[in-house]
Amino acid sequence: MKTEALIDMLARQAGAAPRALAARRLTPAVAGGLLLGVTAALAWIGPIPAALYAEPGPWIKFAYAGALAAAALWWVARLGRPAAPAAAPARLAAAVVVVVLLLGAASLWAVPDGERLATVLGHSWVTCPLSVLALSLPALAGTLWALRGLAPTQPRCAGLAAGVLAGAVGAFSYALSCVELAPSFVAVWYTAGIAAAGALGAWLGPRLLRW
Amino acid sequence: MSWDTARDDFEAGLKPLWARAQAGDEAAYRESLRRIAARLRSYLRRRMQSLPDELEDLVQETLLALHLQRGTHDPALPVSHWVLAIARHKLVDLWRRRGRQEALHDPLDELDDSAMPAAADEGSARRDLVKLLDALPAAQRQAIVLTKIEGLSVAEAALRTGASESAIKVQVHRGLKRLAQRVRDES
Repeated sequence: MKTEALIDMLARQAGAAPRALAARRLTPAVAGGLLLGVTAALAWIGPIPAALYAEPGPWIKFAYAGALAAAALWWVARLGRPAAPAAAPARLAAAVVVVVLLLGAASLWAVPDGERLATVLGHSWVTCPLSVLALSLPALAGTLWALRGLAPTQPRCAGLAAGVLAGAVGAFSYALSCVELAPSFVAVWYTAGIAAAGALGAWLGPRLLRW
Repeated sequence: MSWDTARDDFEAGLKPLWARAQAGDEAAYRESLRRIAARLRSYLRRRMQSLPDELEDLVQETLLALHLQRGTHDPALPVSHWVLAIARHKLVDLWRRRGRQEALHDPLDELDDSAMPAAADEGSARRDLVKLLDALPAAQRQAIVLTKIEGLSVAEAALRTGASESAIKVQVHRGLKRLAQRVRDES
């Protein structure tokens, strides 16, 4: 086929380009992932006692997960579009994590010397990252599906961003079920769960985001 | 003419056309794709000197990808950046499939495009898209043949086939997507 004939074919009756493509793909993906994550957390692990919402603990988690999800969503949307600069959202996501790590470290100043390790480990440090990772899986599947409808030219990076976004969604869901209150616990183990989701996304990206 | 001027001229000429094309102007879209094809040919020719026979195949594969992904262009960004990012992606993908990592280096990047000979003709690919089109599922092939080859409007094609207009649009998009996948698998 001549290229000229292909151009004719592509242009004929082409209509207008789809609008707001990234938003149309990512909105249902993230909303669905969040809904499934929240439902799974509440159904399988159960909600935390309502009295805990009077403590700063849960709100630190929601703020962390929400801010990181917003930055990662911006990052994913950029990576889904060829030539769109993605450095600013990546830096913002990193800054959110750094702030939480600093906050976690600072909170340990107030803890007596001998109790610091016990504070960081809490009583659920083994299950926390695994739960965050597990609860992030629906959002990860959704975000990778959304990216398959876009045009990521850096599949590994796009997969990483999708994983961080999903990890933040998973962290948000898990915060509804997690009774740990120490900021240092959140900084270490929530971040570990999100990092695991990011690593999974980065591994899946080159395998699933080919086009 | 310097490299930057050549690039700016391409962008300046393409930008208004592309804006009309994205809004649904078919003639502007056709002209945009023609200009883009010429630009792609010179961009890819410099990077495919070891695979000259596959140049036009890759030009066509990239055009198909551009068409399928046209919703991902951000009007705030230069069209040429978007076009060349996709072309580079397709080129890297080709090299990867060929197992040629060293080709990812881009020693010719700084060369002036106008130093390369211009395309003598519009080019013909070795691969025949018409044959690949025949291998599509019937509904997709029919939707593509009616609207994109015979040139019926979506409404006319819907009337002719008894399918809804949105179904025709979906079949065309899926068909072209599958076509792009076949093209990629084949090369």
